[in-house]
Amino acid sequence: MTRPSSRAAFGAALLLAAGWAAPARAQSLLDRLRQAANVARALLPISTPKEIEIGRGIAATIAGRYPVSHDTALTRYVNLVGLTVAGVSPRPDITYHFAVLETPDVNAFAAPGGYVFITRGALGLIHTEAELAGVLAHEVGHVNARHVINAIRKSDAMREVKSQIDIQGAVLDQLVGGGTNMLFMGLSRGDELQADSLGIEYASAAGYDPGGLAAFIGRLSAHAGEGALAAFYATHPKPDERIERLHAIAAREHLSGGVDLAARYAEMAK
Amino acid sequence: MRAAAVARAAALAAGLAAIGAGPAAAQKAQWTDVVYVPGYWAGGQLVQPPAGQSTDSLALVMRVDYFSAPPKWRAEIRRTTDGTTMGDATVLVGEGTRALVLTPLGATPLDQHALGRDPLVRAAVVFDGTGHRLGAAAGRLVERLASGAVGRVVYRRAVVKPTFDEALLNPGGRSAGATLLASGISAVGDQRSASVVATAGARGVDNIKTPAGNVPVTPDTAAITRMDHYHVGTVALEEFLRAGGLGPYAAPADSTTGRHP
Repeated sequence: MTRPSSRAAFGAALLLAAGWAAPARAQSLLDRLRQAANVARALLPISTPKEIEIGRGIAATIAGRYPVSHDTALTRYVNLVGLTVAGVSPRPDITYHFAVLETPDVNAFAAPGGYVFITRGALGLIHTEAELAGVLAHEVGHVNARHVINAIRKSDAMREVKSQIDIQGAVLDQLVGGGTNMLFMGLSRGDELQADSLGIEYASAAGYDPGGLAAFIGRLSAHAGEGALAAFYATHPKPDERIERLHAIAAREHLSGGVDLAARYAEMAK
Repeated sequence: MRAAAVARAAALAAGLAAIGAGPAAAQKAQWTDVVYVPGYWAGGQLVQPPAGQSTDSLALVMRVDYFSAPPKWRAEIRRTTDGTTMGDATVLVGEGTRALVLTPLGATPLDQHALGRDPLVRAAVVFDGTGHRLGAAAGRLVERLASGAVGRVVYRRAVVKPTFDEALLNPGGRSAGATLLASGISAVGDQRSASVVATAGARGVDNIKTPAGNVPVTPDTAAITRMDHYHVGTVALEEFLRAGGLGPYAAPADSTTGRHP
């Protein structure tokens, strides 16, 4: 039986021998070691306080792109619906904040750390509180699954980051900039579909009609050629695919019932 | 020799199987109980019906956020004394029916703490001897007095696939003392470090990439500060859920969980 220490020494000897005898192969090995180190760096977790810090920067940029509404009644209503769906989601380490963006563009954004935005244009196309809940729950799903944060962890800007304390100053700015671009250019198809899955689950668990999100996405199809929807279509998977998938999830998970609260939405959001 | 090796292998396999079925089997659960008693709030005072008389109105008195991985659990209790705002959290951690009150100085058994004489706090220990939850996972739970009158009504809603850190269930754990707030309804934002505010405002004009091309943007940190400071209270949220018949407020049937002391 070979003792571990002698096995390690034998392995090291082999590596050294390979390096002397075949420099090209050794170079390749070094490259692979560097790649492995890069992967390890990419997997460095981002703590919740740093996630909030990054999210706050991204949220500020979103608020710079589109003004945040000062409509207090509407803001309160969107927060109540948002907190209702966030209340059944499993991240007790963050506070969710919801706001309306004053733009006719139809879209919604979720910055890390719990900052969620929906545009006035999107609210204009929504017909029921269940649809609003579905859209906000989808965004809460992005936050809970840490989609932007996970993408940031794999970014070039994280190469210099060896610990949480390195996430500050210019590095923080780079991460915020990268995360903002991801949000405006669109997250991956897989992330969007996962957010749909989480969204329908949260909305249904909160007591809303689970068909809200699919109904809203379906309505978007009727407005597909309109300019206000250009960014939405450029950054999300095809509506038909999403609707079909949402119906399949509802059937598989036996999600049914719930309330749509169309009258309350008409009163509060118009 | 060979028989001994086989026995060792069997023992190892059994050990591994036991490990697999042991601690990992503790199922995490997270839920919120919103507790009402018969009566109503008037001018900051709780008006309860005279003994023996029933009433249709219910007054919200308490919200409890639970985190459980049997046999351990944690309960964060917030009470209202005026019907409009919730007070700071009292944190209990426990194992089975044994409960400890967490204070800045340490953990005190509930039985030896002043809170142990509070029937509403005692009723918040909703666990059996194995640390499993008593009563339904979600819905409307009615607890009756010995007279048969309603003592408390609890609206319970569950969190989907909880992921909380189990260190919070340990009385001496590193983060056990930290207040862990479900659903962000209360002021977690106030606990954020000053560095969050300090560094996020330092950025200048950004060029963001959009599908329509690059757009120059000046970040609006003041808007995000307003978002941070905006809070919807627990009482207002419960009223919103109740008015909409959402979650436990839509429960068609009552679950009776026992007697209210």
